[in-house]
Amino acid sequence: MKTVIARRLIALIPMLLGITFMATMLMHLAPGDFLDQVRMQRDADPEYIERLEREFGLDNPWYVQYFLWLKNVVPWDLRSDFGYSFHYKVDVWELLGQRLPATILLSVTSLAFAWVIAIPLGVLAAIYKDSIFDRISSILAYAALSIPEFFLALLALFFAARTGLFPLGGFTSTEFEFMSPVRRFFDVAHHLILPTIVVGIGSIASIMRIMRANFIDNIRSEYVTTARAKGVPEGIVMFRHVFRNAINPLITAAGFAFSSIVSGALMVEIVMNYPGIGHMIFHAILQQDQFVVLGALVMSSTMLILGNLLADIALAWNDPRIRYD
Amino acid sequence: MERPLGLAVLILLGCFYLVALFADFISPYTPPDQSLQKTYHPPTALFWENGRLHVQRYELADPDDMVYRKIEGEGAPVRFFARGHDYRLMGLIPTDRHLFLVDEPDRIYLLGSDETGRDNFSRLLYGARISLSIGLVGIAIIMVFGFLAGGLAGYFGGIWDNLTMRFIELVMAVPGLYLLLVLRGTFPDELSPGQTFFLIVIILSFLAWGGTARIIRGMTLSLRNRQFVMAAEVLGQSPLKIVGKHILPNVFSYLVVAASLSIPAFILGEAALSFLGLGIQEPSASWGLMLSQAQDMKVFMLNFWWLLLPGAAIFVTVIAFNVLGDVFRDIVDPKQKFLNR
Amino acid sequence: MGIKHWAYRYQAGGIALLVLLGGCSAEIESVREEAPVPEDIERVARDPGRQGDIFTGTSAGTPATFNPLVAEDATSTEAIARLLDGLTRFDPVKEEVVPGLAKSWDVSEDSKTFTFHLRRGVRWSDGEPFTADDVVFTFKAIYDERYPNRKQMEFRAGGEPFEVEKIDDHTVRFTTAEIFAPFLLYIGTEILPRHKLIDAFADGTLMRQWTISTASRTPEQIVGTGPFRIRSFRPAQRMIYEPNPHYWRADREDARLPYVDFFIERFVQDQNASMVAFASGQSDHQGITPDQAGWIRRNAERHDYTVHDRGPSTSTSFIWFNQNPGTNENGTPFVEPHKLEWFTNQTFRQAVSYGIDRQGLIDGVIFGRGEPLWSSVSPANTQWYNPDVRTYPYDPEKALALLEEVGFRKENGRLYDEHGNRVTFSLITNEDNRLRANMATVFMENMKDLGIEVRLRLIDFSNFVNRISESFNYEAGLLGFTGGRDPHGGTSIYSSGGRLHVWHPNQPEPATEWEARIDELMQKQLRTLDEEERREYFNEVQSIMSEQLPLIYLITPNIHEGLRNRWRNIDPPDMGTLIWNLDEIWAEQRLLP
Repeated sequence: MKTVIARRLIALIPMLLGITFMATMLMHLAPGDFLDQVRMQRDADPEYIERLEREFGLDNPWYVQYFLWLKNVVPWDLRSDFGYSFHYKVDVWELLGQRLPATILLSVTSLAFAWVIAIPLGVLAAIYKDSIFDRISSILAYAALSIPEFFLALLALFFAARTGLFPLGGFTSTEFEFMSPVRRFFDVAHHLILPTIVVGIGSIASIMRIMRANFIDNIRSEYVTTARAKGVPEGIVMFRHVFRNAINPLITAAGFAFSSIVSGALMVEIVMNYPGIGHMIFHAILQQDQFVVLGALVMSSTMLILGNLLADIALAWNDPRIRYD
Repeated sequence: MERPLGLAVLILLGCFYLVALFADFISPYTPPDQSLQKTYHPPTALFWENGRLHVQRYELADPDDMVYRKIEGEGAPVRFFARGHDYRLMGLIPTDRHLFLVDEPDRIYLLGSDETGRDNFSRLLYGARISLSIGLVGIAIIMVFGFLAGGLAGYFGGIWDNLTMRFIELVMAVPGLYLLLVLRGTFPDELSPGQTFFLIVIILSFLAWGGTARIIRGMTLSLRNRQFVMAAEVLGQSPLKIVGKHILPNVFSYLVVAASLSIPAFILGEAALSFLGLGIQEPSASWGLMLSQAQDMKVFMLNFWWLLLPGAAIFVTVIAFNVLGDVFRDIVDPKQKFLNR
Repeated sequence: MGIKHWAYRYQAGGIALLVLLGGCSAEIESVREEAPVPEDIERVARDPGRQGDIFTGTSAGTPATFNPLVAEDATSTEAIARLLDGLTRFDPVKEEVVPGLAKSWDVSEDSKTFTFHLRRGVRWSDGEPFTADDVVFTFKAIYDERYPNRKQMEFRAGGEPFEVEKIDDHTVRFTTAEIFAPFLLYIGTEILPRHKLIDAFADGTLMRQWTISTASRTPEQIVGTGPFRIRSFRPAQRMIYEPNPHYWRADREDARLPYVDFFIERFVQDQNASMVAFASGQSDHQGITPDQAGWIRRNAERHDYTVHDRGPSTSTSFIWFNQNPGTNENGTPFVEPHKLEWFTNQTFRQAVSYGIDRQGLIDGVIFGRGEPLWSSVSPANTQWYNPDVRTYPYDPEKALALLEEVGFRKENGRLYDEHGNRVTFSLITNEDNRLRANMATVFMENMKDLGIEVRLRLIDFSNFVNRISESFNYEAGLLGFTGGRDPHGGTSIYSSGGRLHVWHPNQPEPATEWEARIDELMQKQLRTLDEEERREYFNEVQSIMSEQLPLIYLITPNIHEGLRNRWRNIDPPDMGTLIWNLDEIWAEQRLLP
């Protein structure tokens, strides 16, 4: 197991190198650079723009820019510097770190929400296959899957405005600073409800469908027949045996979900004004704030690999028959 | 799900595609055709008078909120198979006949008009062309590439397999958004917005074929040890031929089901790209673009409900493709072995 | 003195839910720090108000920095203006420069030397005294080669930096190499606290100071002379300002400004969310786009606010043709020769302008809430707008007649030039501006009526900038500028050598006579302090622009601002926001005791 982990982590290095190199090249190929916003201001002097170009190192060829960046990143003297944001003049990791907690929180709640709803529904739909319940739940799942996320977010906002039950987007109330810790907790929870539903609802349908199909598959298998023949109670058959086997593919899926944390909620962040990281990275890409983009790429690629790794470990833990060599 | 549902859905989708194909004949106006005096116009009522169908005339009652009021008793006759703007029927036959029209300056807005007075109905029909074909183009690319790469990697195995899989991992990690921004910058002006958008879809598909390739590879790995493949090898058939002739039929059903289940992702993806401003551009129309333009509080508050119809169109189409995919799956793979995605 | 506030109440349902969660509305407590009022403080002429209460505003962006040398975007600049003040201020109601940290100044005979007398006893928000050293330090930082910033180039007269000289602790003298007309306006730049920034200035890290991280972690490090200081800052969420206890303005009864206890600015990027929040009474102020004004007005009575129509905005929008006669590195001309012939033809441009249905665009798309634009200056800028420029009301027949006059002819609905070329061109603009896209589609349809085929290309901003300012590979463009106040700010547009002289930028010598005349006028207006004289020159610039039409102006939407009715001392200027004097406004009735 340890060697598997080590091998995966080592494989990460060439991948990160490849991706960051490619991204720098793409940024160079894309017309314009970070200073376009400045160029379009009526009172910006041409010499000022030149000085900024030098300041940001944008006057170097792109490969030089890349190797300069790489030189700072590689921790020769045990310090790794990923550069700073042109726009904010703040260290890249610090900038990303400011937004990451809110994003992770939303990913976790929406994933939990989706699983809590979808797995029981999937199991029930499988046990009562072809019943009215099965039909209705699958129709609802289809429906949830068929509304573009950004529009669902707007509907949620409209709902909040009409009923007054929920805050109009955001992460905390205006009075947040003046609240006691307990009140703060409830305040954040209150703000999280709608975004959680909007982000989570899309995955309910797919998780439910997978769960239902796997469950049916396993019910039909031989070991279930054997267990039933031995007189094991139906409930134990279903939950100790079938459920455990049926959930395997979902663990893999959760690993993938981990990797999409960074960009997964972009639309909801925009529409519901959620202070997450996706929006910031999107802007960094549009503005060509290059070190932020590179930092974000390093982060999301690492998460992809880590997510897959964690999923594999969880899989081995859930099903001792699985071995990695 | 039972088969009758599948048939119903198939017929529904068939109608959609047919309507999209004949969009220029059915729609009275072209997508960019504006009428600034009639913006945010509600759907026009129709009435029967003197043996002819008439379209109700309206006046602007409140320019502050764009409220229109019927002018009682006034209307313009609807002319069927009338002459309007030129177009080529199915891209071939030049003609100017349209299913229905009214004489200018009256306008027929079956489904209302948008912020520059363009006919929502016509734009929905033209938009269907983009929204409905995007999935097909994307899926075709994904399937062809996924099958070739996955099939050959699985067949040869070893180092080839390893290389292909690593390459796929790299491709899947390419920031698609960046690639789009870069390549869009290099598209020449001569391309129409529709052509530009198809290029975007092609690029995105090239980034997305990896998943399919992986699954095909897995299936091929188990198929290649079967007797009929070994027999073909002994007979000295070329690898390409073996993959095409023996492997393909065995994974074909998977490809069909995966295709119909992936089309909705493209339709929704188009909407998402439009929302981010990376999709099809004005003055062309697509459902995603129209819906993202209706992403506006005044549409709700001033009750311009007809502007939300592209959302309904997306909704129905996506459900239909999902149902179709499930039905296909039930037919080709009753045991649901591979398709538990 | 402790004042207690209750925060805005949640909407009915929200209260129910919160009660369920075991709480009630949050209680905001303010302890206003009081400092002795020095003699030289400015006492405002308005009737005294009452201290207290919270003002909640909304901003569409998050500040990127609090460092005035770094700030490039409007959101950052606005935030910094609340924290730091300059020697002078601009009063938008009087439309003139008024004293700021300097209580008065003398101008020398030759209009090149300015001696500023600083207010005595003014302190920074951390209690340190403000002196002439801070002023000298600020300009040293601005002109330092290590710290490229926009003012470094801007604050130059005849290419030379202003000379700054400390006479004594409360007197500073500035000398400009030549007469510099907007000097007093420019000198209102934010003064930096020497005691806080001198170390960073010395070790080369000045540009990395006062970032958003500073504001969120150690807001007390950002020290200013402005009305507010930062209480807390949460990126992409909100910022809470509290009064600067050492602010240099008070009312007649010696109560320190600002009156409000808190100014909360919420950062809401999606306008749907912020408009709904205002319309349901959750904020005090909101900028409103013209198309949304109608439905927001409906709730005005219930939530006791007013939607003010503030007249035309200062932003301009225009279409222009690429008149650049140059060639790219392969020797191909930027614009095909026969097209360049149309584009450089003044009558062609005028015909195109007559062919644009500006009023239709305003009535249809923005609900009649806008004005057609005829000049490079928006009518909002009453100080500099020339009302007598030539106008081009919608008249397609006149447009066609003009075109026929110069050899074009229309056949079968298509326009051809005298050599038989079909008149067609592509128009580029950036995709992220909805109103701009609408202007472009309307223009396209209008041109179709003249027989001109326009191919519309909406591209991303970087690509757009690149094509209009580097590769020049385009035929026509649609762009807008947000208006500056002083004509000098537009030099790079008007002058033939300017970078944003978009139709033919960076000319070594003026290509036409009228461009030469504009160059001359722009120089003349810069070299006098007499505003009347400057206006005369600048009016002529606007007249030439409207006659020659290198830029074909379109429309400007009316600015709407929503404001709660409970605020007093609101004094609307002709140009700019209603709440420009945030330090002077106070609430008549409190939300809760």
